[in-house]
Amino acid sequence: MTKPNTGELNPQESAASEIKSYATGFIVSLLLTVGAFAALLSDLPSTWKIVLICVAALLQIIVHMRNFLHLSFSGGQSREDLLLVLFSVCLLAIMAGGTWYIMSDLGGRMHQASGSDAAMPEAPTR
Amino acid sequence: MSENGLYPGLNLGEAHDDAHLQAESTVFGFWVFLMSDLIIFGILFASYASYLDPIGLAGGPGPQDLFDVKSVAIQTAFLLFGGVAYGGVSLSVKYEQGRAKLILWLLICAVLGAGFLFFEIKDFISQAGEGGTPQVSGWLSSYWLLVGLHGFHVFSGILWIIAMIGQISTRGVDDVVKVRLSMLGVFWHFLDLIWVGIFSFVFLATLT
Repeated sequence: MTKPNTGELNPQESAASEIKSYATGFIVSLLLTVGAFAALLSDLPSTWKIVLICVAALLQIIVHMRNFLHLSFSGGQSREDLLLVLFSVCLLAIMAGGTWYIMSDLGGRMHQASGSDAAMPEAPTR
Repeated sequence: MSENGLYPGLNLGEAHDDAHLQAESTVFGFWVFLMSDLIIFGILFASYASYLDPIGLAGGPGPQDLFDVKSVAIQTAFLLFGGVAYGGVSLSVKYEQGRAKLILWLLICAVLGAGFLFFEIKDFISQAGEGGTPQVSGWLSSYWLLVGLHGFHVFSGILWIIAMIGQISTRGVDDVVKVRLSMLGVFWHFLDLIWVGIFSFVFLATLT
């Protein structure tokens, strides 16, 4: 599964690059978090705020997976780990997205009539 | 980062020989568990989103009444710093920087995690005081369950860290401990990842 170790890897050098990777992940996560909170406190229309917060969250999740969980498309096992993530996300998209869609559709159908007066008079005019 | 990853988290590397190979199957198995955890959290996110309408609120207190952005920001900071601090644990295991340094990093993680829990529980108590208990509405039930389950995970993580500090001081940093620390690292970073979803969708997106 793995490439043979060349033995030329200087541990100190490697540690420096790993520390750099953690530091990058940390700074980017911090900026995205601050950005998301700043978006909430800004004067933008709320649709824009939600879009910005969702984009920041997605980017931060990717940064966490790459820099902290060390998942990537390269490497022996880590590709399988990432595929497992993608499979779980696919299952989730079906179950969570489906739940949300069905519930909001049902809510719209069942409660809209009693909520607004405009829909009410239609019932007696049979 | 030219090294090949065998499993999630910072790999021990081939210098660790047996521990590195052992970790491949053990950490992968743990990763499968975490993905099932991800499904549970995802479904809870979906029910939270479904309840987020006037019917789900059922006349009870809503997000604007209960959520405190400042406290959420403090919790987020604690968890982000705590997550990054685990990088120190992984690196000091990998490069054998000694037991004292390793335990110090673990303690930093545990303290930051405890700080997170302190503010979260404080929030829960003040929300319950304002009439936002779980039985009031469907939205509040899903909120308490989702955020509470994450908090419980962090609490378990802290217990796990304490257990690992005990194991390090009694048996030293042997192969078993290294593999367990690799699993703990994946768990700890995973909690951070879930929190990104919680603070973005449960708190910020709801308050817009």
